[in-house]
Amino acid sequence: MNEAVTARPIKISERGWGGGSRRKVTLGRILFGIGCLAIWQWAHARLGTEWIAGPAEILGRAAELARTGELWVHVWVTFGEALLGFLIGGSAGVLLPFLLRLSPRLTRALDPYLAAAMGVPKLSLAPLLILWFGIGLMSKVVFVGALVFFLLFFNGLAGVQSVDSRLVSMARVAGGREWVITREIVWHTALPFIFAGLKVALPRAISAAVVGEFIAAEAGLGYYINNARSMADTVGIFTGVVLVTALVIVVNGALELVQARSLAWRPVDRDMVV
Amino acid sequence: MSHSGRCILEVRNVVKVFPPRPGRTDALLAIQDLSFTVGEGEFLTLVGPSGAGKSTLLNIIAQIDTPSAGEIWFQGRPIATAFGNALRPGWDCQIGYVTQDDNLLPWRNLLDNVLFPLRVQRRLSAESVERAKMLLKATGLEGFERYYPHELSGGMRKRASLIRTLVYDPPVILMDEPFGAVDAQTRSQLQADLLRLWNLGRKTIVFVTHDIAEAVALADRTLVLTRAPAGLAGEHLIEIPRPRDLGNIYTLRGFAELYERIRRQIQ
Amino acid sequence: MIRAKLVLDRLLILICAVATWQVCSFVFGPQWFSTPWITGGRFIASLLDGEILHHAQFTLAAAAAGFLVGGLPGMLLPFALRRSPALTAMLDPYLIGGYGVPKLAVAPLFILWFGIGLGSKIALVASIVFFLMYFNAAAGVKAVSIQLLDMARIAGASEADMARHIIWPCASPYILAGIRISAPYAIGAAVVGELISSNQGLGYLIQAAAMDFNVTAVFAALIGLTVLVVGINWILDRTERWLLRWRRTEATRVRRFRAAA
Ligand SMILES: Nc1ncnc2c1ncn2[C@@H]1O[C@H](COP(=O)(O)OP(=O)(O)OP(=O)(O)O)[C@@H](O)[C@H]1O
Ligand SMILES: [Mg+2]
Repeated sequence: MNEAVTARPIKISERGWGGGSRRKVTLGRILFGIGCLAIWQWAHARLGTEWIAGPAEILGRAAELARTGELWVHVWVTFGEALLGFLIGGSAGVLLPFLLRLSPRLTRALDPYLAAAMGVPKLSLAPLLILWFGIGLMSKVVFVGALVFFLLFFNGLAGVQSVDSRLVSMARVAGGREWVITREIVWHTALPFIFAGLKVALPRAISAAVVGEFIAAEAGLGYYINNARSMADTVGIFTGVVLVTALVIVVNGALELVQARSLAWRPVDRDMVV
Repeated sequence: MSHSGRCILEVRNVVKVFPPRPGRTDALLAIQDLSFTVGEGEFLTLVGPSGAGKSTLLNIIAQIDTPSAGEIWFQGRPIATAFGNALRPGWDCQIGYVTQDDNLLPWRNLLDNVLFPLRVQRRLSAESVERAKMLLKATGLEGFERYYPHELSGGMRKRASLIRTLVYDPPVILMDEPFGAVDAQTRSQLQADLLRLWNLGRKTIVFVTHDIAEAVALADRTLVLTRAPAGLAGEHLIEIPRPRDLGNIYTLRGFAELYERIRRQIQ
Repeated sequence: MIRAKLVLDRLLILICAVATWQVCSFVFGPQWFSTPWITGGRFIASLLDGEILHHAQFTLAAAAAGFLVGGLPGMLLPFALRRSPALTAMLDPYLIGGYGVPKLAVAPLFILWFGIGLGSKIALVASIVFFLMYFNAAAGVKAVSIQLLDMARIAGASEADMARHIIWPCASPYILAGIRISAPYAIGAAVVGELISSNQGLGYLIQAAAMDFNVTAVFAALIGLTVLVVGINWILDRTERWLLRWRRTEATRVRRFRAAA
């Protein structure tokens, strides 16, 4: 065999052995983070506050808002809208698929309408809802509720429809009533789907509340951002955006905790992203 | 070296350890100090219990895995060592490998799967396509050329993956239970076909199987591997004259005794 | 027989919905709910005089351009990182963090930087689609079968052969899923951008009509938007099924209602 006739050598590391050491990865992460901050600071220095607010300015503004109490008002308004809408829309969205299961005929008949409903970008409903319910709390709650409802409803429906029919037959044979089947089988099958929906829906509820506030509001983080925008207050926009992101992160973390507890029976986290 | 041909492939003191992983604390010793040679044109069969490390060994010979210690020599040169850090799978199409799983491409139909090696080696010609069709016909896959793998039975997929390697004619072919998922009739038919093809070209074949009768019926020589970590438990020269009548092989003198000896070594 | 009953059922539901709408507009007044007939007429009229088409074009352009600007790099990044697991591990927390940032809330920043025209919408769409495509493509790259790669190498395949015959087909279901999932988001993001600040696009049309208290026009624009999204979904679904026709039907049997990404 001629050495010159080379096949394509593959590095061992490609096959998952001896991959970069953990310490190196951690160091890389930290360096990358510092690099990002440095670029941000540099861009701020270069382009000026009117285009890019610096990290220090944002912290300063946030601290000031917290001191005057304005911060808590806005956070509370946005969070309240999101939570109320989430609870109302969410409970309806979770419940309905279970009810629909009782009537396969209705489910099949609704099919094309549901597909169309899935197609409406829910966010585009905001102006209409503000028209109907005014610029206050109500319109945002309905808006968030509609968004969360559809999200959870479609996820729940996917879950309910993925129930293993063999399990259901088994339960019927064993003498289980419809209620028992719903509680013991359908519920457990659908739960991961519902959680996947909740996990997506809660941060989106906050986003939706903020978008609603962009369009018309009297308080809330979205209102604050939009107000800052109209006054060309770049630091204000940045601060608002950072606060919204922080709120989402906190909420996500809380949800993560809850999920870890209630899905303990599952061996691995099945990937819900199709 | 028990075969007349010169040695083409040699396994020298090969050891394979699978390192511990998160969730599995201890390392797993799959092959321990295994050595043997394969002569040019020889039909060598390996038998051993499930989990012995047979597939692992073939992976190492085929260069899709490295030995933890020891060397593989091919045509007088070391091709794999524990310290070499570059694998050359198939060693430039010199070593063919019919894996235990069929590994057909789900997105290609049967014919395209069989022609895949020729296509990537830029050796596709009317002649080679003819040869592929001949082989498909010989194994009863004619008429299924346009089927996707998921539309074929397990045994049909197995045959397809066998043909995929035969069609490009590498001098050494490793086969990992190629007839595992086939019914008894088709199986003896395929064994006969394989022997016939082998007789024409006299390739070097390393053939792994669970089935002692199959190992004896096909081979010039049979190696028996121990339960993991795989080591050599025995070596048997099969001196049944060729061409063999596989239908009657069980009745031949010496077969039963050989069978029994191997069976006892596997235990 | 069963089919006819189904059609009848569906018709019945449609009639009920229209009737409910009619009743609502009767009870609350047509200035709040318009009526099905006026809305339908308005939709057809604005379709004919090209108003809806003009704005839909703008929205579609923003979504498509954002899709290219954000989706293409997002799709290619996992392939570029395929050989460097350490780099992937390093970037991972930042990508997850970036995915978590509520992009819609960032829209005012994009408007500040790129103006109220097409640029800010493209940026908003791109920032959303990038992450969706990245995570789907990354799942696809992870799904590339090592066994098939080994088989191809043994058969003598070059890197280019493997990219074409193994890696792309293995990853393509995930990438196509990514495209199908991202498309409605892209349109939705473009619309939100237009709602907040714009002078063109379906979002602008909705917002302007709402400012005018013209519920009929809002409904007509919403219908146009829905048709657009459903049409795009339908095209993507068909394309995907055609491209992935090699998969066993069970796997392609698309569940009617997918879990959200
Ligand atoms: N990638 C791997 N990582 C860790 N352990 C492995 C790996 N591959 C194989 N093993 C272990 O090595 C041992 C031998 O496996 P191998 O697949 O070679 O067996 P085999 O002889 O081919 O068995 P069978 O006849 O059932 O195919 C087994 O205990 C297996 O668990
Ligand atoms: Mg094996």
